[in-house]
Amino acid sequence: MTESHTPFDHRPDARLGAALRAALDPPQDRAAFVARVLAGGARTPAHPVEHLLARWAARGIVVAAAAAFIAGLVIGRARTSVEPSVSDDPGAMIADVQSEPNLLLVATGR
Amino acid sequence: MGTEPQRPNGDARNPQEVGDAALVARARSGDREAFGLLVDRYADQARRVARAVLQDPDDADDAAQDAFLAALVKLDQYDSARPFGPWLMRIVANAATDRRRRRKVRSAVSLDEGLVAGGARPDVLAEREVLLGRLRVALDELPERRRLAVVLFDVEGYSHAEIAQVLGIPEGTVRSEVFHARRKLRALLADWRDDG
Repeated sequence: MTESHTPFDHRPDARLGAALRAALDPPQDRAAFVARVLAGGARTPAHPVEHLLARWAARGIVVAAAAAFIAGLVIGRARTSVEPSVSDDPGAMIADVQSEPNLLLVATGR
Repeated sequence: MGTEPQRPNGDARNPQEVGDAALVARARSGDREAFGLLVDRYADQARRVARAVLQDPDDADDAAQDAFLAALVKLDQYDSARPFGPWLMRIVANAATDRRRRRKVRSAVSLDEGLVAGGARPDVLAEREVLLGRLRVALDELPERRRLAVVLFDVEGYSHAEIAQVLGIPEGTVRSEVFHARRKLRALLADWRDDG
């Protein structure tokens, strides 16, 4: 008790610690307490329902993402095969470009 | 005084003993025996910390049990790179605080007025019990955070940094809380005998 302690003192106070420990120490029945906790633990599933659902949800998201990716690939390839291939004929390309303004004019004329 | 090491997860442990991280890993994989070893290792500490919050020993045991079961459920969230003790003590402190909030009105520790006033002292044992009673009352009068800080530091041997982790406050605040708690509690220890 003769030591001077400041807020920055990093040393535990053994004397105070011993007194507090005596004041807070539980009865000498640790084995009974441990048995009681373990009995409660036996009724607690290691992976409760919410954890299980969370894991399933995570797996579901991964599966859904993979399925969407594969579906995108398949649809993309299908559309590519259905669409007409770009012509190598320069005349046809010019005709395509010129046809768009005509369509626009028709639309605004209404 | 108990004969157990000051810190169940500290240096005083037998080197042959299985480390906390190994036990947690086993418990995570469903090994109930490993979980039992962890409970046995931290039981007294958890009960003391819970009692620092709740005062009543039975309530404290209920809270400590709740905390161990909560820890079992949350083991997947534990970062094995960090010490297990502070992680568990945070759960214990929260469980005790929750229980106290639920209880709403905390029954005051009933101490005989004569004892509190330092009445008759028939022998050393009675004197010791009187002092412990006073200490419990003084502890009870401290703000909860201050109480936990001094118990975790001076009784359980955790560092300021670890206590900051347990309580979720800055390390400097922990130092301040420990200082103020000590200043009040030390005044009661003039008659304390370590060999009691």
